Amino acid sequence: MSLSFMTVLILVLMLLSVNTLIIVQALTEEAVQNVKEQIDVSVYFQNDVTEEEILEVRSYVDSFPEVTEVTYIETDEVLAQFRETHKENPDILASLDELGENPLGPTMIIKTREPGEYENIITALGVPEYEHIIEAKTFADTEKAIDKIGIITKQVEQAVLVLSILFTVIAFFVIFNTIRVAIYTQRIEIGIKKLVGATNWFVRGPYIVESILFSLFSMVFAGVIIWFAIQFLDPYIAVILDSQQFLTNYFRSNILVLVGSQFFAVLALTIITSGLAMRRYLRV
Amino acid sequence: MISLKGASKQYTKHSVGIENVNLHVDAGEFVSVVGQSGTGKTTLVKLLIAEEKPTSGVVEIGGWDISRISQQDIPLLRRQIGVIFQDFKLLEKKTVEENVAFALQVAGESPRRIRDVVPRVLDIVGLGHKVERYPNQLSGGEQQRVAIARALVHRPKILVADEPTGNLDAINTHEIMEILKKINDFGTTIMLVTHNREIVNQLRKRVITLHGGKIVVDEEQGKYQL
Repeated sequence: MSLSFMTVLILVLMLLSVNTLIIVQALTEEAVQNVKEQIDVSVYFQNDVTEEEILEVRSYVDSFPEVTEVTYIETDEVLAQFRETHKENPDILASLDELGENPLGPTMIIKTREPGEYENIITALGVPEYEHIIEAKTFADTEKAIDKIGIITKQVEQAVLVLSILFTVIAFFVIFNTIRVAIYTQRIEIGIKKLVGATNWFVRGPYIVESILFSLFSMVFAGVIIWFAIQFLDPYIAVILDSQQFLTNYFRSNILVLVGSQFFAVLALTIITSGLAMRRYLRV
Repeated sequence: MISLKGASKQYTKHSVGIENVNLHVDAGEFVSVVGQSGTGKTTLVKLLIAEEKPTSGVVEIGGWDISRISQQDIPLLRRQIGVIFQDFKLLEKKTVEENVAFALQVAGESPRRIRDVVPRVLDIVGLGHKVERYPNQLSGGEQQRVAIARALVHRPKILVADEPTGNLDAINTHEIMEILKKINDFGTTIMLVTHNREIVNQLRKRVITLHGGKIVVDEEQGKYQL
C-alpha cells in the first residue's frame, strides 16, 4: 500500500495519545490515593478518660463497615510526638515542662475507605454519651480538602473520558481517510481482480493481512516510544508520588490487558475502515 | 449458449442501455456485434459478465441466468466465460506470467496446475518468451495477447471480446483477429463487440447491428452496415 507509512504513523500517534491518557489517569488515581491515605480523623480524648471508655469507643468505631483502620496512641506517645513536632520551638517545650504533668489525652486515628465516609463517623461519634470523653475531632479541618479532591478527581475523569472519545473519533476519521485514499489508488486493480473471477474475500485478503501488519508495526513503534518515555518520567514521578518506578510497574502489571485491548482495537479499526473504504469498488 | 429474451437495461429514466433485445447464439458461433457509440454494445457485454443486471427480461449465458444470479455465483460465472477488453485490464504490478496465473489462483487451482497451464497458454498466444515482462514493457498487441491468454486459462466455452482491437494498429489488429479465429476453430463461442468495419467485413460471419439499444439487423455472413 502506497500510503502504508502514513497509515502506520497515524496509528502510532493515536496509540501514543491513548497511552498518554492512560498514564494521566494512572497518575491521577495514584495521587488521589496518596492524598486519601494522608487524610484521617483524629479523635482527641479528655485527659481523664479511662481505658474501658476508650475500648468501648474503639469497638463502636470498628463496627462501621467503612472503617478500614483504627490506631490508638497512648498519652505518653502523644506527648513524645508533640515534643518531636515542636522540637524547634523552645517556648512551647518550656511551657510543657512548666506544667510538670502530661496535659495531653490519648488519641485515636481513624481511616475509612473513601474520604466522603468520614462524615458518617464524625456524626456517629457526636452522640451525647461520648460528649464528656471526646475533647476534639480534627475532621472539620480536612473536610474542604476532601471535597476538593472529590471534585478534582471527578473533573479529571470527565476530561480524560471526553479526550478519549475525541481521540478515538479523530483517529477513526483520519485512518478511514488514509486507507480510503490508499484503496482509491488501487480501485482499478480491485476491479480487474473482480472481473477475472476473484471473490470479495479473495480481494479483501491482502488488505486484512496488511491491517494485521499495520497493527503489529504501530504497536511495536508506539511500544518502544512509550517504554523510553516512562523510563524518562519514572524518576520525576518517584519524587512526587514517593513510589519507585511507578509507570514501569503499572505497565508491567497491566501489560496483557493494555497490549491486547489496544492491538484488537487498532486491528478492528483498520479492518473496518478498509472494509468500508473498499465496499464500493467491490461492486463490479 | 447465449440467450436474451425481451432483455432491457435502463440506467435512468432517460438513459437506456438496451431495450427489448431478443437474441440467441449457438455453441461454436462467431458473432460480431456492431453499432455506433452509445447504442448499447457495452451494456450488452456488462450484462453477459454480470457487471449489470437486466431491468427486465432474461439474459442467459452458459446456463447462468444473469437476472437471478447471486453475488456469490458471479465469480464462478466469470471463471467460465473469457472476457477481453479494449484497455486490456492487466494488473500493472504483475508480470505476464503472474497476470495469467492470477486468473487460476482466484479459482483456487493448485500451484502445480498453474505451473503446467500458464506456459502452454502463453505459447499459444506467442508470448512464451516474454513471461517475465511487465505490461508496460509490452506493445498494445502483446498486452491484448496476454489478456487473451488470461481469458483462455479456464478453457472457456464462451469468449466475450469488447472492442479488443480498439487501441491497436492494423498489424496488431490482424494478429489478434487471427488468434480469435483460431480459438473459435477449437469450438469456443465468440461474441465480438466492435466498430471496426474492416475486420467485420473480412470475417464473413454473423453480424448483429444495434441502434438505439435495439437489434436492427441480424445477418448470417453479414457485413458492417450503419
